[in-house]
Amino acid sequence: MGQFDPDMMAHIKFNEFVENLRDLDDETRFEYILDLAKKHRDDPFPETDMLAKHEMHGCQAKVWIIHSRKEGRNYFRGHSNAAIVNGLVTMMTDSFSGWADEDIADLTIDHVRQLNLGSLTIQRQVGMMAMLKYMKKLSLDKVA
Amino acid sequence: MTVNAAALTKSEQMPPAFDVERVRADFPILEENIHGNPLVFLDSAASAQKPRAVLDAMRYLYEHEYANVHRGIYYLSEVATNRFEAARTTVARFLNAKHDHEVIFTRNATEAINLVAASWGRAFLQPGDEIIVSEMEHHANIVPWQMLRDEKGLVLKVAPISDEGVLRMDSFEALLGPRTRLVAMTHMSNVLGTVTPARDIVARAHAVGAKVLLDGTQAATHNVIDVQDIGCDFYAITGHKLYGPTGIGALWAREEILDAMPPYMGGGEMIDKVTFEKSTFAPLPNKFEAGTPAIAEAIGFAAAIDYINDHGMAAIAAHEQDVLTYANQRLATVEGLRIIGTAPGKASVISMVADFAHAYDIAMVIDREGVAVRTGNHCAQPLMARLGVDSTVRASLGMYNRRQDIDALVKSLEKVRRIFG
Repeated sequence: MGQFDPDMMAHIKFNEFVENLRDLDDETRFEYILDLAKKHRDDPFPETDMLAKHEMHGCQAKVWIIHSRKEGRNYFRGHSNAAIVNGLVTMMTDSFSGWADEDIADLTIDHVRQLNLGSLTIQRQVGMMAMLKYMKKLSLDKVA
Repeated sequence: MTVNAAALTKSEQMPPAFDVERVRADFPILEENIHGNPLVFLDSAASAQKPRAVLDAMRYLYEHEYANVHRGIYYLSEVATNRFEAARTTVARFLNAKHDHEVIFTRNATEAINLVAASWGRAFLQPGDEIIVSEMEHHANIVPWQMLRDEKGLVLKVAPISDEGVLRMDSFEALLGPRTRLVAMTHMSNVLGTVTPARDIVARAHAVGAKVLLDGTQAATHNVIDVQDIGCDFYAITGHKLYGPTGIGALWAREEILDAMPPYMGGGEMIDKVTFEKSTFAPLPNKFEAGTPAIAEAIGFAAAIDYINDHGMAAIAAHEQDVLTYANQRLATVEGLRIIGTAPGKASVISMVADFAHAYDIAMVIDREGVAVRTGNHCAQPLMARLGVDSTVRASLGMYNRRQDIDALVKSLEKVRRIFG
């Protein structure tokens, strides 16, 4: 029986997204993202959390990301008022929740590239990177 | 909008029957497929596509006539200079300027407005002087004045609009006073399509001794512009929205105003004599054109204006109004869609919000259908705040759009509604 590895467990969700998106063609990938958008469109995110202090600036749509820590690990939840962006926010917050500080600090554009969103617009790539940077900042701020 | 028949070229006085299919054949990019669908380009208010005539003019210059302009004592430089100055003449006629040297080439309308702020504003405005803009300005006609306000201790006032997007002339008049030195106003909103009453604005502003700058970025693409008839003091345009290349625009201002203004930038081309003690400056227009100008772009800009003139601006405007009217009718059938900006006489910009999807979602989905629109705040965040929205979908028309494009837009919007509605 293998030993329980909390880091491996935490990274399962990210790896799942990577796996799901890996071999999809352009059209199927877009359908996947649309499905993600529809699936998470009605996820609860209280209006009381839609505060300026949680808002990530620089997106055309509004994006809120909230960070918390538990037992030395980072947890994120987020929301956007645009459905597709909300799906992508969910992809990012689910992917990197449960990660240790050092793993969050090591996140790079390569992680976004692994998600294979390449056919989506540059704006989207930039948006995903901005989201990643914002999540790293939230993590670092809490550590400090 | 004012039209001076005497200023029209022969082709504008007798426009040929407008044939949109013939026009479309002149724009190579319209043959492209996007995500497997024919391109439906509805983003000309951001930047228009280019006809072959523009591409050919720039290519011909580079292949046969290119050299730096002004002062070169050799054949190619003289040819290039003649072409470059002929381009200035073309722009001057396009605006019905009194003199060619009243046209200053800039990179775009933004630079033209900044030129006025940095030169005229710094030289002639005093602390406490007032500038009036409207609620529907592009950032390019807000931020330069804010920067100047903060530098010089000026007062920036904002003329309100109605919910339909009409400038409230009574409120505007109430803002005018003895300290008003400049009214900087859009001639056509890039978000609402509202065409402002330029002559009326000028008359009221001049009555209190204020000068008027019109941001003609959008207006010049849909209407015949006659700066002498309008009576304004400054008029800013950009080439890339007029089917010309990027990197070229123009400021028009009356000769006596330009003569009184100090140079904007220093360098080559704009000087008369330079010693380490002192420099004297070249006469108009070179005084404001430091450095090597955008030569091929100016020639491409003129080719675009020639192309417009060949079809006749009045005929283009009539065609665009037909497509706009059709668009308003068809879009009204999309349940949950609301058009922002319904001013009488508006031109070819249609901003929309939907109750079934965010603008960003709409643009992402309809892009897959080959439909190109713009989303966001359109560089008009104060207007978005006034309208109570954070983002709109904007479809904007050019001379090459046709009713089928609107059908494709409506069909794609219905798809969005099916997905998210």
